[in-house]
Amino acid sequence: MKGKRLKCWGIIACCLTGAVSFAGCGSNENDGKIEIEIVQYKPEAANYFTMVEEKFNATHDDIHLTISSPNDAMTILRTRFIREDYPDIIGIGGDINYSYFVDAGILADVSDYPGLADINQAYLDIGEALELVPVDGTYAVPYVANAAGILYNRDMFAEHGWEIPETWDELMALCDQIKGEGIQPFCFGFKDTWTCLAPWNAMAVDLSPADAAKQVNRGETTFSTEYREVAEKYLKLLPYGPADPFAYNYNDACTAFARGESAMYTIGSYAVPQILSVNPDLNIDSFVMPANDSADGNTLNSGIDLQFCVTADCENKEAAYEVLDFLLEQENLQEYIDAQTAIPCKVGDFALAPMLDGMAEYITGGNMTDYQDHYYPSEMAVDAQIQTFLIEQDVDAFLQKFDTDWLRYNRDIIRMVQEYEASQGR
Amino acid sequence: MIENKKTNWPVMVLLILGLSTIAFPLYMTIIIAFKQPSEMTNSISGILSLPQHWSLDNFREAMRVTDFWHSLTNSLLISVITVVLSVIIHSLMGYALGRNKAKSKFYNIVYLFIVSGMFVPFAILMMPLAKQTAEMGLGNWAGVILLYVVFYMPMNTMLYAGYLVNIPIALEEAARVDGASTWRTYWSIIFPVMKPMHATVAVLTALSVWNDVMTPLVIMAGSGQNTLPLAQLNFQSQFGTNYNLAFASYLLSLIPILIFYIICQKQILNGVVNGAVK
Amino acid sequence: MKNDRKRTFLLITIPILALFICFNTIPLIRGVYYSFTNFKGFGDYDGVGLRNYIDLFSDARVGKSYLFTFKLAIVSTIVTNVISLLLALALNSRIRAKSFFRGAYFLPNILGSLVVGYIFNYFFTYILPALADMAGIDSLSSSILSSPNRAWIGVMIVCAWQAIAMNTIIYISGLQTVPEDVYEAGGLDGATGFKQFRYLTFPLIIPFFSINMVLCVKNFLMVFDQIMALTKGGPAQSTESISYLIYNNGMSGGQFGFQSANAVIFFIVIVAVSVAQTSFSGKKEEQL
Repeated sequence: MKGKRLKCWGIIACCLTGAVSFAGCGSNENDGKIEIEIVQYKPEAANYFTMVEEKFNATHDDIHLTISSPNDAMTILRTRFIREDYPDIIGIGGDINYSYFVDAGILADVSDYPGLADINQAYLDIGEALELVPVDGTYAVPYVANAAGILYNRDMFAEHGWEIPETWDELMALCDQIKGEGIQPFCFGFKDTWTCLAPWNAMAVDLSPADAAKQVNRGETTFSTEYREVAEKYLKLLPYGPADPFAYNYNDACTAFARGESAMYTIGSYAVPQILSVNPDLNIDSFVMPANDSADGNTLNSGIDLQFCVTADCENKEAAYEVLDFLLEQENLQEYIDAQTAIPCKVGDFALAPMLDGMAEYITGGNMTDYQDHYYPSEMAVDAQIQTFLIEQDVDAFLQKFDTDWLRYNRDIIRMVQEYEASQGR
Repeated sequence: MIENKKTNWPVMVLLILGLSTIAFPLYMTIIIAFKQPSEMTNSISGILSLPQHWSLDNFREAMRVTDFWHSLTNSLLISVITVVLSVIIHSLMGYALGRNKAKSKFYNIVYLFIVSGMFVPFAILMMPLAKQTAEMGLGNWAGVILLYVVFYMPMNTMLYAGYLVNIPIALEEAARVDGASTWRTYWSIIFPVMKPMHATVAVLTALSVWNDVMTPLVIMAGSGQNTLPLAQLNFQSQFGTNYNLAFASYLLSLIPILIFYIICQKQILNGVVNGAVK
Repeated sequence: MKNDRKRTFLLITIPILALFICFNTIPLIRGVYYSFTNFKGFGDYDGVGLRNYIDLFSDARVGKSYLFTFKLAIVSTIVTNVISLLLALALNSRIRAKSFFRGAYFLPNILGSLVVGYIFNYFFTYILPALADMAGIDSLSSSILSSPNRAWIGVMIVCAWQAIAMNTIIYISGLQTVPEDVYEAGGLDGATGFKQFRYLTFPLIIPFFSINMVLCVKNFLMVFDQIMALTKGGPAQSTESISYLIYNNGMSGGQFGFQSANAVIFFIVIVAVSVAQTSFSGKKEEQL
């Protein structure tokens, strides 16, 4: 009996020793150095950030930088926030999560950061617009933007002599033509609900006012009015995609496009690295979604893809700014742009990726509008609602649900906006 | 058996056919794990055929990207410590409650209170627990182990308490006459006698802990530590285009438990049945 | 002596009970507390009284997830029990290599359901349509996971595939408790085949039947891993189980307070179902 017991305790002892040595690995013992931790939400850029981390630590003696790029970072961030465990800097998109974080007072005011002077004012304005109600100060340093529209297979277009469409009718005619030649015009990956938003956003900026969500919050209009045309036109795209678009996810769709199974892909520039990972030789270009009936009405769907926010909990703002400076250095930013087909938010002499050729005119001309979904509350799950709509194809039911759900999920925000407006004496 | 009764061949044939529902998915997993992306065609022969080369490259790559050994160590660590703690703590609790609940109101209430914990779905606990474990500095594998010990307590305590009914109290009284304390009596007499139940509890706890995703997902997310199932979850979104790599990783995560099953099949089957039927 | 015994028992019970209260009861109470707030999971929050509960009953998405979960639980329970009972009868009949078959049929149960889900996900998306194409079955030529009407069947198959293993083993141990002479006596009365099963075997394994029912319903109502691996709640939110919805919207969707209310209701439902089942099967056993 005794022997057995001894063995039992032996096992426990072994485990505990192992466990302790493990715990030792976890904690960072960089004596004397200031620790800066970044959690950023783009796992596809993980390699870039590992490189930055190494480069930064090699050149800085006083600060130790850790960057993690987890999958599903928003869940992880929120879980950490629930635990009140804040990283020093978070890299997130310019979307409703950012609005919530500003509202919750999690982020620090960075208006004293000198690097802001070099940031393109247009992107600072977008960041400002994302605040639920105007707040004093600046809470984000925009890093890069992305652009959504239609990616196309340049070689395939040249081979068949297809022309880039500039209006909705031209797009429809082009699709018919492509289909007539036995090629599938689009690929879709609607099994992942968020991909349903890509064409939606790209068309909505052409057809609805940029601040539709805010107008609705003020009670000036309804989505049934603003989004009807978007919804109707979206349905017209479906026949030009695969027979069963809901069977495939984002990765499947990227793979299909990379293998030349379709001529076009309605997605953002952020998909390019993924596509090239499957087929590095694919010659990709892009054009702006021509959802409007006149070419002048079209605008490029572009928003902040990645911005850095310092959290209010960050103990050493100086060090955080030094890290931001490093990230914004010409050389590093250019490397990010090349790797991710992104658009810099910093003013300067940057070379844009050739995949953005077709959009360059809009980018340089500043004809850009932020994503509509950056204003949608995540718990309303608009992506899933659009997926439902695409399956059931009932425009009226979809818009009606959109309006009622909007009021329910934005109840607290609408009340806040109204209180703010009242306090402003309007 | 064979002497006077014939083998029921039609049933045998059906059973063998039925096995294909289990073998086929496993077969697919294995061949996909060995293939290269270029071998993945949509034709039926392409799907079912064996890989052209049996190379371990996919596995090597999968081990690298999922940090396999690290996740495996974490999973093993969590499972083993949980099982050991469960056997010790739950058997003690089962003993204290089982011996007293019939005559003492207090122990009876405690017993019912703990057993009713079985009905509390993890869904209601997870959000407060995520907050609470972090506040206590337990947002790591140690917290996960502690939570498992609490989650499996209702079931295991009930099993132990039920088993104790069959152990005559006279056994203890004999020892007590010799002057041994209750604590010593427990460890020298009762604990060894409950050995069959230890096996059951160990098997049930180990299987549930090993395959559990949700607890580590909620408690350890962002800590940079993975368990084997959690590593698969992360892997899925990060390298989704390469199904071959993904399947190699899935297969790797299944192998430890398969080995365990092949070695301890009998104990596992007995344990599972005991646990459910008691 | 007597005091030593009492003290020892108290010394065992109190710390373990404290541990249990700390990690089970207190979070439960905190969960109930959050259900009366509009907490997002971070930042400030206000008490909102019963608003979350009122919303809950008018929320189509929540209603849909309850319908889906119950549909899945009921159908899976029936399918699982029918198949595993047949399988148990077969495995308990006069066959060779009995222990090999038993071991092999139990295999699915030990595999992690998340990974099993991923494997089946690939199977449903690519292999099954290809097989159906070859066999000329049009209705299966697109992935069943892509249709809101059929995706739940895919989830059900995966749930059943794993649960059958467990239930079969339990039924087998039930069948082994039936003594040979019951059959011999029945054989004299002319009870064979289905009749023998209905009137002789089944009544004797009723306790095992209730165990399986309770196990199945409880596990299926809490289904999570399979959803995560197969559909992530889609398409068109048609396969959101209650646990998945609570996790997804509560942890990452900013509805901490609201989903806490959902979890409280879910808890009550689970207790109600369990109590109903226990008292029902208790009655049934008494009758027989």
